[in-house]
Amino acid sequence: MNISYDWLKEYIDLNVPPEELAKYFDQIGLMVESTREVNGQTVYEIETYANRPDTLGHLGIARELATLFGLPLKMPGWQLSELEQSTFDLIDIQVLDSQLCPRYCGLVVRGVTVGPSPEWLKKRIEAIGLRPINNIVDIGNYVCFSLGQPLHTFDLNRLKEARIIVRRARKGEFIRTLEGQLVELTPDMLVIADDSKPVALAGIIGGEESGITEKTTDVFIESANFDPVSIRLTAKKLGLSTDASYRFERGVDINAAPLGARMAASLLGQFGGKVSRGLLDVYPNQRKPRSVPLRLKRISELLGIEIPEEFVTRTLTSLGLKLNEQKPGVWVAEIPSFRVDLEREADLIEEIARFFGYDRIPSEVTPTRSFELPGNQEQDCLWLLKETLLHYGFDEVINFSLADPEKEKIWQTGYQPIELRNPISSRTSILRTSLLPGLVENAVWNYNREANGVHIFETGKVYFWEADGQQGEELHLGLLTSGLKEQKSWAQPARETDYFSLKGAIEDLFFYLGYEAPAFEPEDHSFFESGQSVKILTKNETAGYLGLLKPEIRKAYELEKLAYACELNLADLFDRQPRAFVFAPVPRYPGMVRDLSFLVEAQVNFQAIDVQLKKLNVPYLERFEIYDRFEGGSLPAGQISYSVRFFFRHESRTLLAEEVERAMLNIISHLKSTLKIQLR
Amino acid sequence: MSSLPEKIEQYRQVLNDLAAKTKNIKELEEVKQAFLGRKNGHLTLLFEELKQLPPEEKRAAGIALNNFKMEVQKTLAELEEQCLRPRAEKTVSDLTLPGKRIYWGAPHPLTLFQRKIEKIFVSMGFSVEDGPEIETDYYNFEALNFPPYHPARDSWDTLYINDKLLLRTHTSPVQIRVMEKKKPPIRIIIPGKVYRRETADPTHLPMFHQVEGLVVDRGITFAHLKGTLEYFIKALFGEKVKLRFRPSFFPFTEPSAEVDIECLACHGQDSQCRVCGGTGWKEILGAGLVDPQVFKNVNIDPEKYSGWAFGLGIDRTAMLAYEIPEMRYFYENDLRFLRQFNRR
Repeated sequence: MNISYDWLKEYIDLNVPPEELAKYFDQIGLMVESTREVNGQTVYEIETYANRPDTLGHLGIARELATLFGLPLKMPGWQLSELEQSTFDLIDIQVLDSQLCPRYCGLVVRGVTVGPSPEWLKKRIEAIGLRPINNIVDIGNYVCFSLGQPLHTFDLNRLKEARIIVRRARKGEFIRTLEGQLVELTPDMLVIADDSKPVALAGIIGGEESGITEKTTDVFIESANFDPVSIRLTAKKLGLSTDASYRFERGVDINAAPLGARMAASLLGQFGGKVSRGLLDVYPNQRKPRSVPLRLKRISELLGIEIPEEFVTRTLTSLGLKLNEQKPGVWVAEIPSFRVDLEREADLIEEIARFFGYDRIPSEVTPTRSFELPGNQEQDCLWLLKETLLHYGFDEVINFSLADPEKEKIWQTGYQPIELRNPISSRTSILRTSLLPGLVENAVWNYNREANGVHIFETGKVYFWEADGQQGEELHLGLLTSGLKEQKSWAQPARETDYFSLKGAIEDLFFYLGYEAPAFEPEDHSFFESGQSVKILTKNETAGYLGLLKPEIRKAYELEKLAYACELNLADLFDRQPRAFVFAPVPRYPGMVRDLSFLVEAQVNFQAIDVQLKKLNVPYLERFEIYDRFEGGSLPAGQISYSVRFFFRHESRTLLAEEVERAMLNIISHLKSTLKIQLR
Repeated sequence: MSSLPEKIEQYRQVLNDLAAKTKNIKELEEVKQAFLGRKNGHLTLLFEELKQLPPEEKRAAGIALNNFKMEVQKTLAELEEQCLRPRAEKTVSDLTLPGKRIYWGAPHPLTLFQRKIEKIFVSMGFSVEDGPEIETDYYNFEALNFPPYHPARDSWDTLYINDKLLLRTHTSPVQIRVMEKKKPPIRIIIPGKVYRRETADPTHLPMFHQVEGLVVDRGITFAHLKGTLEYFIKALFGEKVKLRFRPSFFPFTEPSAEVDIECLACHGQDSQCRVCGGTGWKEILGAGLVDPQVFKNVNIDPEKYSGWAFGLGIDRTAMLAYEIPEMRYFYENDLRFLRQFNRR
């Protein structure tokens, strides 16, 4: 909203120079976005709030300043030069829907000469950022930006049968607006009609056929009040937003309508206009002023400072409220009709705080009666997870949750995606069902910008429709590793990332978070190269997948380099309690180590050996490690050589060599019978 | 049976042979034991033998034996030094070459900044809460005192899924969810992603991060809101930062305020400043006392309890703190940008 310093002076004798006014506006919550000079007058662009339609006119702003500075508000009188005829003789008004049009005022002005506005009016119009059109249109805007009361002016002679009917539109009716747009109307829309058809979209825009032209001499001034919700729904539906609809949908002062009509009529008198006798005012259900109780005690209870009673009464009275004292320190406030926002005691207390000044309210630390036990394990787990991955050299990324349905199709994530009804673009029209597409895009972005390796992770939600039609959100972890992991240096060669670097990070993630080690089962997946991915299982439930991204996906994103990726469902994982940590005694007796090298058929994977060894439950076996593996060379085809190191220990004595030899024989015979190993 | 001087000569030979073969401390220890062992060490035995000699031979042999003892000690000392000294290939010829460093990944700047904020509030006894990003109209608007069809909704441009569901436009719905299940006192913050139907520009994106704070208890005042937020902002931006509270409007708070901090780029000195537009102030958060209607919507008696709430854009505040000119940098995930933030 543009506010002119000169215009304000019509209502208040400001004693603050224009350049100092901005800081006072800010102080009472009328935020000045910018200040500029227009035609030698200072104009402030003020941010107004949706609940304060009274600040959409200079009068309302002047009232705020009058309260702040303790100055009186001036109300100019509007003289009318009158015709012989009464308004009733000149126009017939019927309001058929007083729900949507609670008040309708009008006056007829005859003998007006349409022409350019005088300089003072042009200056006003330019100040608010509009272009002067002609005296009639400009007067309408002048009244609107003075009182916040939108007006509409009709050419009386273009209204059929000089009749105004305020009704809902009929099915199949059309109107051509003043802007030349042909609009189809529906019965939920309120129109102003003449005897035959709609001549204006009530409270939004006028019709072309009834509008003012160069030749207009007789004018009907409409100064009405319309239902905010109805105006908003119609304006939204038609995609129209005008200065009038902007005000009506916020709630125009029901009592501004008569003044609006008088003010416009009086101004038209300057251009030869004579005004019909008697204001036409259809206002069937008169509104009573709202009453709001106010307790002095409550003010200090909420603001944290005692505010003098005199300040309270002076401020609210200056804002137009009537205070009726019930008993000392307790009032019932009668709210003026222009303040549609003041409904509860808290609203009045805000007014007092605003004019008292937020900077004069003290600053105190919020007292505490009790502390909650530190909770929300998920936040802690998430941070620990991030720290672990950062330690592994993964950088953290954050991608948009909005995704491209075409691109996401390639992945076949298996989730039913959620579509947006009003997306910003078709490329951001669904919610992501996987974190990996974003990570692949990040890899491509960085490869195109000097990177020779990308190792990144993201934690965030994926979204989908559940089988039962409910919306689902699930916290995931996505990882991607591609290209050089270590750069070549004078001291060491370059190292490429690989499958096991990623798998190791995942294994350690479970370890550091205190969860049981997951199982990795080779299984094909739509993201990955056939035979090059594993399913990650915790407690026999699928927690995620890890593998080498398949070429079709890399091709779709133009990712030339190989990339390994992993996606884990963290929601399920974090639901589980990690094992409580307790210390284990440090060994006091020496352990013994034995190595075993053997050949096994290639189809037996390490996990099979691992499972058999764990199943055996060998006494005193502390742990075992695979320390060598190879195939080919001098080995028979289809055979793999493994070397495993076994660590034995007794917790309360030194082990005997025979005990260890017996255990090794047990291991060997078990592996021979179950996996057909051959010792080397 | 050879004489003592002959034996000394033999052991000198043994010593020299062993010294030539000794490569490490363990082997050296064996040599030491062989010569100096208390029971059977060569020298120990030789001194035993010396005691048995007739006095006329004793003197000359004694001198020879003592000399040999010193020789043994010297050889052992030399051997020890030799064993401890690093081999040539283990020494560095140019000590100024760059060291081997281990790369730590960089946390995302928004994670880093969110964590800073969380730490400040957690130290004041707040707990961190969380809620869904897909919300209903009720939680996102109605329960927060946005009437249906009210223009107040225009400032919260919404991405809708259907008539019932939308992407939350702020973290405030979590306030409602927490107050529905928990009785006061409540002291929480709620960080998270929020969505607006906005066309991208340097300070607007369709997705960004917010943190919401909520306190509900008996006797909570506007002064408490001011004091706590002042502490928070100073903890975040430093003790000297200037700030101001301005009246504002939010449907879910009354009275409402916006908090500005002085422009960290120009400190109000540049009328053409690109960061603050020359006003000298940057708005960083919205706040206020919880609106009584919001309390009624969650069955908390506004006569018994009062509370304050605030909402802050994490992205925009991080932009101010790190002097980042465009919000999109956060979501491009350019490693040359991200990796600056591993200097935590």
